Amino acid sequence: MTGSPTSSTTSSGADLLTSPQDWLREQPGLPNRQVFRHTLARLADVEPRIVLLEADLAGGGDPFPVRHPGRFFNLGICEAAMLDIACGMAATGHVVFAHTFAPFGAMRACEQVRLGLAYARANVKLVCDYGGLSGAFFGPTHHAIEDLAILRAMPGMTVVSPADGLETIQATRALLEMEGPVYLRLGRNRVTRLEVARPAFALGRAMCLREGGDVGIIAHGEVGVSVALDVATRLEAQGVSARVVNLHTLKPFDEEAILETAERTRLLVTVEEHSILGGLGGAVCESVATHGVGRRVVRAGIQDRYDSTAGTHEALLQRHGLEAGALVESILNALPRPRLAAMAPGSRRG
Amino acid sequence: MVQVPLEERARRIRRTILRLAATSVGCHLGGSLSMVELLVVLLGRVMKFRPEEPRWEERDSLILSKGHAAAGLYAALAEFGFFDTEELVQRYNADGSPFTGHVNAAVPGVEFPTGSLGHGVGLGVGLAMGYRLRQRSNRVFVVCGDGEMGEGSNWEALQIAAQHHLSRLTVLVDRNGGQNDGPTEAILSQASLVERLRAFGLKTVEVDGHDLDALGRALEEPSEEPRAIVARTQKGAGVPMFRGKGPHYATFNADQLRRALTSLGEVTP
Repeated sequence: MTGSPTSSTTSSGADLLTSPQDWLREQPGLPNRQVFRHTLARLADVEPRIVLLEADLAGGGDPFPVRHPGRFFNLGICEAAMLDIACGMAATGHVVFAHTFAPFGAMRACEQVRLGLAYARANVKLVCDYGGLSGAFFGPTHHAIEDLAILRAMPGMTVVSPADGLETIQATRALLEMEGPVYLRLGRNRVTRLEVARPAFALGRAMCLREGGDVGIIAHGEVGVSVALDVATRLEAQGVSARVVNLHTLKPFDEEAILETAERTRLLVTVEEHSILGGLGGAVCESVATHGVGRRVVRAGIQDRYDSTAGTHEALLQRHGLEAGALVESILNALPRPRLAAMAPGSRRG
Repeated sequence: MVQVPLEERARRIRRTILRLAATSVGCHLGGSLSMVELLVVLLGRVMKFRPEEPRWEERDSLILSKGHAAAGLYAALAEFGFFDTEELVQRYNADGSPFTGHVNAAVPGVEFPTGSLGHGVGLGVGLAMGYRLRQRSNRVFVVCGDGEMGEGSNWEALQIAAQHHLSRLTVLVDRNGGQNDGPTEAILSQASLVERLRAFGLKTVEVDGHDLDALGRALEEPSEEPRAIVARTQKGAGVPMFRGKGPHYATFNADQLRRALTSLGEVTP
């Protein structure tokens, strides 16, 4: 638990910036969107240029307005104006973070994002939660299954989808250090902390979380990376080895890492909480097809339909095949038989 | 530096606009000509700026929200020294030049790219909020079209300007009564524009948008609140042959240019 709802230091004294792992360990399952808020408030302690804009979705418990009331503006329910205003403020030297839910930031205010952030290159960080189906019960008005396809198509945008709390802290810090427009995509719900050794975080550089030679699983985000690691563990039990790549930055796109993964494995799998059209799955297909790498790509994601039936987040994900059990089956069915000479001993499919 | 009378500046800007209409791509003529006095009073009397240092920190900002009237803005920026008028006419639409048909931020003196309508007020509100937060006194001027006031995002941003008492902000509406598909009143009436701006909390006045003194006085009036100036104008103003109904877009041939320049009062060979 935090020392107080507005503190970025835990009761045992762990500071979010200097010891993020300890800070996170003391509040397991904290949603990434809350991790982001604590991170931004903590960064604003030391960076006076930070400003936070909201459009009536600040919610409760955000430490930022308590600690930095002069740099917090809840503008009302007006996402389009909020993003034009964000660009204006950025032009006077502020680093502007603007937050809303993903369907409203990426779609209602889409053209503001295009003109002010992407085209005019404002130093604005658009932070959207409710990514994917994480708004579950609230229905498709509050789901965002198309946002990454849209944002990825805008020249000059940086598009980031962190996997867990630590990555959210790392990404938020990295966004502050870079000049230019960003879309930071978060979910709504509790997040599984990834218990895996990971290389240093760098925007635009994919992160190999696990080595393997049969299947190359590429994933991003809170659901995607967690499912990918689970799938890899289950495949291992069946004698199939999987390389897992966390592609937390969808743009700029680390094509080298994708092609390397394609070369080293026999099947590519993309896992993401986004439509199977136009997101990571689309990006990987574009890359391997463009470079003539003959790899089949299994795209796990949200199917091309709006899902308006109620259910938990997990239930919705299952309906779309975004869970390890179903995905393992799809992978085993799609995995090409190895040539006899290359076949590993003990392979299930031998 | 020789003081050029503002009337003369307006006439020279109109001359440049007409020349831009006579290029192969033409320009949004009516709405460029209608706002000339607005830009002349802003740049020639009210605003602080340094043409040789467009990003000067103390500058006041001009945002042309009706960014299709780029020819008018470019012509005015050239008149006030941000670049050379002949360079503008030569390079307008030239391969690789910044002089595109909607306002391009690569042009010196331009703060934001515009052309998609309904962004200027929000951008201006953001500038005004940002300057206030930095405790700077820079003023912000946004020029909108009357047809453009159909865009909902303008009204979102105006509400916020009033809520936050952004006295640095002035929104000027070029009330020329015309838009792409015809008369504004026939398409989406702005008859209640002044009342609506007032109701939204802006200190609002309506003036003759071709009266330099009236515009200047309205802009210099002190205000604790954001202000709006509804400037009654005519499309094609200053060129009598248009009889106040200049074309929304025009591409002139040499003969048309000669007749327009003659109408403007130019002695042409």
